[in-house]
Amino acid sequence: MHLTICHLYPDLMDTYGDMGNITAIVKRCQWRGIKINLKNVGVGDSLIVNDFDLYFFGGGQDKAQVIVGKDLKSKKTALVKSIDSGAVLLSICGGYQLLQKYFKTMDGTVIDGIGLFDAYTLGSKDRMIQNLLIKINPDLQTQINVAYHKTKYIIHDTNLVGFENHSGKTYLGKKVKPLGTVIKGSGNNGEDKTEGAIYKNAFGCYLHGSLLPKNPHFADYLITKALARRYGIVKLKTLDDSIEWQAHNSAMARTRSQS
Amino acid sequence: MDLQLNFAILVGKLISLFLKISGSGATAAPGLYALKIDPDLVKKLAGKLKSGSIIISGTNGKTTTARLVSEILSTKYRIIHNRQGSNLLRGIASTMILKSCIAGNLNFDLGVWEIDEATLPEAIYNLDPKKVILINLFRDQLDRYGEVDTVRGNWQKSLLNLSKNTQLILNADDPGISFLSKFTKARIFYFGVNDTKINLPTIDHVADIKYCLNCSTKLIYKSLFSAHLGHYYCPNCNLKRPSPKVYANNLLFRKDFSTSIKLNVNCQLSIVNCHLPGLYNVYNILAAVALCSFYKIDLAEMKIQIQKFSTAFGRFQQISIGSKSVTIFLIKNPTGANEVLRVLATQNNLNLLIILNDKIADGRDVSWIWDTQWEAIIGKVKNISVAGIRGWDMATRLKYAGLTLSKKYVYEEISYSIANSLSKLDNNDTLIILPTYTALLDVQRSLSKLAGGKKWHEQ
Repeated sequence: MHLTICHLYPDLMDTYGDMGNITAIVKRCQWRGIKINLKNVGVGDSLIVNDFDLYFFGGGQDKAQVIVGKDLKSKKTALVKSIDSGAVLLSICGGYQLLQKYFKTMDGTVIDGIGLFDAYTLGSKDRMIQNLLIKINPDLQTQINVAYHKTKYIIHDTNLVGFENHSGKTYLGKKVKPLGTVIKGSGNNGEDKTEGAIYKNAFGCYLHGSLLPKNPHFADYLITKALARRYGIVKLKTLDDSIEWQAHNSAMARTRSQS
Repeated sequence: MDLQLNFAILVGKLISLFLKISGSGATAAPGLYALKIDPDLVKKLAGKLKSGSIIISGTNGKTTTARLVSEILSTKYRIIHNRQGSNLLRGIASTMILKSCIAGNLNFDLGVWEIDEATLPEAIYNLDPKKVILINLFRDQLDRYGEVDTVRGNWQKSLLNLSKNTQLILNADDPGISFLSKFTKARIFYFGVNDTKINLPTIDHVADIKYCLNCSTKLIYKSLFSAHLGHYYCPNCNLKRPSPKVYANNLLFRKDFSTSIKLNVNCQLSIVNCHLPGLYNVYNILAAVALCSFYKIDLAEMKIQIQKFSTAFGRFQQISIGSKSVTIFLIKNPTGANEVLRVLATQNNLNLLIILNDKIADGRDVSWIWDTQWEAIIGKVKNISVAGIRGWDMATRLKYAGLTLSKKYVYEEISYSIANSLSKLDNNDTLIILPTYTALLDVQRSLSKLAGGKKWHEQ
């Protein structure tokens, strides 16, 4: 088996330690003998529909986000068509925002996104900086339970834990569902208790950390979904994730103790 | 008489006395409260320094550079210096309060001030410095400082306030630092590394600048040393690395952590052999030498001071515990940690203890460990263990880097992690501890007990 991964704008959207998500997917595949073909796609590179099973788009500095935002327009059609045909995508923070309809800054400037997610973001004065703990959307959790099997090592929960650092407040439209409900932290906007967005197999969220290494259930779910395009329902080999779950649990304890 | 100032100093001195009696290491508290009584305390006392103040700032290396500057200039001047590294305005105030009499007299010629990146504008306003050194700017504790572009933006605005008589000393190899020359009336002087190759293992860098700060075209590097430091130019506009007047050549990094550097200071040459590891320390030396060249110190004298200089408090600090030894390298952000890993990758059979905390002074977000190339030490490790509040995050990072770690090498408690790691160490071996900032304080306390009460944090 093999999996093709596209890392979108890795040289510009690389500020917040999101690289660990690529590392997690690559390693978890390699440990199971799944071959990886990883390609970096940046400014000026072309993107062809259905070249990839899985896309990753991380967070970057505001200035980099402007450069990327301009270039992303040329990749819009290919990216949207790929997602509509079942490809998997994980986007975080700046990447998540650029995939929405628009970002309106504090001074009223509107930066267009590509509208993959039916959502928009408004600049705000508050910077939402803290550990973030969410309960995964119940529908998604049901699917994760199928993809990720409990073992003797694992007391596996239904949460995602990470660190948020953003000032934009995201509001979801009707065509997307939230990735989860905020237990501790701000999430999308600090108001409606939602965090992140789901559209088909595309996911957006504000969870740095890196997210996937210490949330291995979600990592394996994304891998299963990405493999399903070529290979149908794949049962992944069980890994010893005891270190990962310890990291998950200690991050969760740290988050719960935050005021 | 300035009663407000005198009262502020008195209160500061009383707090400091109280802290000394209670044995606390809190160095910022006297300044914090004194500044509430007289917010202009730093401004007033800095004005009494005959030869004025020097400000040293940057993400990495400011403590070492300031200490080196202070050592060199002490041969000729009476120096006041926030040596313990308390580098916010309150830390400067504390140092001044401690060293002045209640009437507010300061018997020093020159102030050498290490300044936190976020405090630079406030420090420039209060200290009205004669010289400012900016060493570098990297991503660091994003939850506290914000993005590199934001920090640089604040520096730009503040440098506009420097007078044309101020000397601004900049790192030519950092495009984000040399770019600042456009935003000031101050006189500019550059230092940099002129070698085109560095004899350290290569590593995948995280760079905060890849596109021209003028015109957003991708920068081209003829040589890339570390992160975004190197010999760069923009193929579209006129931005390029300026030629430095103080520069290093023939860098040689040795296995015993010592370094040989051929220094060129305004056309004078000197080969310096120092006990400081890594490329980052070459930049610290260059910054210090560039500054001291303005104070008419002979290069020969500088060489003596550099060669006998040893860093302290966690920056390549070496301690003997019985027949075993401990070396500490503070890690706090991806660029600094990557440079430490590059130095470690020159060794074999490393015994490592990595301690990751997530308190405010460490940065509450531990994501940065995923931007750090732990992969660089694969095959060089004999034993590796982790500790700290986010020890399990660190253990996960090492697992994904391909470094084997068993669960029993993840310690809850720092003092136990050190004692246990030392007990497992063979005689004549060295334990290398990589702590984050708040973990370093715990490491010092534990080692101080093991070494019979020596208190390094008071040096």
